[in-house]
Amino acid sequence: MVAHETLSRRSVGSDLRAMGAVAGKELTIARRYPSFLIAVLVWPVLLPLAYILGAKALAGPHGGSLPAFEAATGTTDYVGFIVIGTLLWGWLNMTLWDVGFFIRNEQMRGTLESNWLCPVPRGALLIGATLTKLALSLLFLVISIVEFRLLLGVNLLQGNLALTLLIIALIIPSIYGLGIAFASLVIRFKEANAMVFLVRGVFMIFAGMTFPIAVLPGWMQAVAMALPLTYAIAAMRAVVLNGAGLADIRGDLLALVAFGVALPIVGYLAFGHMARRARRHGDLGQY
Amino acid sequence: MTATLSAPSWRSNLRAMTAIARKDFIQYLRYPMNAVFNVLQPLIWLTPVYFLGKTFASPVGNVGFAGYSGTTDYMSFILIGTVLANFITTVFWGMGYSLKTEMDAGVLESNWAAPVPRPVFLVGRTLASITITAAMSVVMLILGAWLFGFHVSGNVLAALGVAVPMLIALYGFGFAFAALVLLMRDANTMIDVSNFLVTLLSGSQFPVTVLPTLVLLVSLALPLTYGFDAVRGLLLGTNTLLPIPVEVLLLIVFMVVMVWVGLVVFRRVERRCRVLGTLNMH
Repeated sequence: MVAHETLSRRSVGSDLRAMGAVAGKELTIARRYPSFLIAVLVWPVLLPLAYILGAKALAGPHGGSLPAFEAATGTTDYVGFIVIGTLLWGWLNMTLWDVGFFIRNEQMRGTLESNWLCPVPRGALLIGATLTKLALSLLFLVISIVEFRLLLGVNLLQGNLALTLLIIALIIPSIYGLGIAFASLVIRFKEANAMVFLVRGVFMIFAGMTFPIAVLPGWMQAVAMALPLTYAIAAMRAVVLNGAGLADIRGDLLALVAFGVALPIVGYLAFGHMARRARRHGDLGQY
Repeated sequence: MTATLSAPSWRSNLRAMTAIARKDFIQYLRYPMNAVFNVLQPLIWLTPVYFLGKTFASPVGNVGFAGYSGTTDYMSFILIGTVLANFITTVFWGMGYSLKTEMDAGVLESNWAAPVPRPVFLVGRTLASITITAAMSVVMLILGAWLFGFHVSGNVLAALGVAVPMLIALYGFGFAFAALVLLMRDANTMIDVSNFLVTLLSGSQFPVTVLPTLVLLVSLALPLTYGFDAVRGLLLGTNTLLPIPVEVLLLIVFMVVMVWVGLVVFRRVERRCRVLGTLNMH
């Protein structure tokens, strides 16, 4: 008898189909709540605005303090400097909420246990959802770049565009690896909002969102060096604002590659551990 | 005739308000992690601002900033703005969002059937959060003094006196907001964005004179701008937009107008919702 490929007899094809189905379902849900579009349109400009206006005040009425800023950052373009930081931080923040809450929301809706009974690897369900979130994030990036150009006069496409795209590509596995690890922690500890505030706060304080790492005290610089976002922000600022080339940011790119390999593995292991633990304790449906 | 809840008096309204506040307070204490994060959250947001200030600082301090504000003490300027902004956030979310949570929980209609004026419900919902915000602000300022060198040299009592009409004017905003929530039902993004815009434009994070002319006009039309300005003028001796007594007078006028407009709008919308029977929709 010829064995047919069915869902109860898994294959690569059936896993991919499941992943696609979850991605499609998440996209349908996103389209049902179009208010997220308002957030995607408004926040990229609003978030850096407070810092930009603060920087304008700090620069002084005649730009008297700009030389101090230039000495610390290598540029007088504080608007470009700030939006690059808030853009990458905003992306991470969005991922923490979206990917981090994916499993949590299924738990709250009461569909997590039944979905996990399907003969599909649990990782495939998570990756399917992550793909949709990634697509929405890329939309956020494109909208941000257009708005920065039109409303704030910042051209993020200046400098070596291929390098900018490379930096964005290299930070993707780190951001989503973190997102998946975070989702696992949320299931374990259940205090989801508080945990988002904590994790995104760490990146906000240490990754140099609005300032160069050099102004931090020594111990804070050491923490900053352990965060992938620090390297992505520094490299993108160097390329876009200072016209840096590949040789100038080689160290940052290597760090991003290392994080890009390590963090998805950490995410995968954390997820596996969480799934095993939840089955052992039988508390998957509790929230 | 004795005053009972079915014959509302100011005393019964006061009892209703304290009952609501007590209930909110008990709920708050059930989630102790929230208290920790209420203090930490503003400090986390302030850290990038602090280091941004460091990036612009020369050996003699933030002299560029003094050109706009009249003080080189950038972080004290920011911390005062943050504390006042916390109160704005509390009133915006406390009034608008509390209606939304009651709609979602399905208790709005039954609560409103009680013989208590509806604005009393709204004010009651903010009492616990205002008290909590005040306590958190004190803790935040103590931590701010330790971490960012916050200090004030002016008249603290006079500054508190200025903050009171500002806070009451905010309640006017809050009533109008609650009306919008009744109409639109999904209010999160709206409250979040408006709260951010109002605190931003009234100068919680910078002297409003840095704003482009057109935006500055909007800022000058907001009563809160004068509140921020006067409180900072009194505490830090910063340059003010107008003489402080004039700013206080403006705040008092705004307070009366805003509360009146807010209440009228809220009453009209609420009546309309009752006529349409849409109170329990969410």
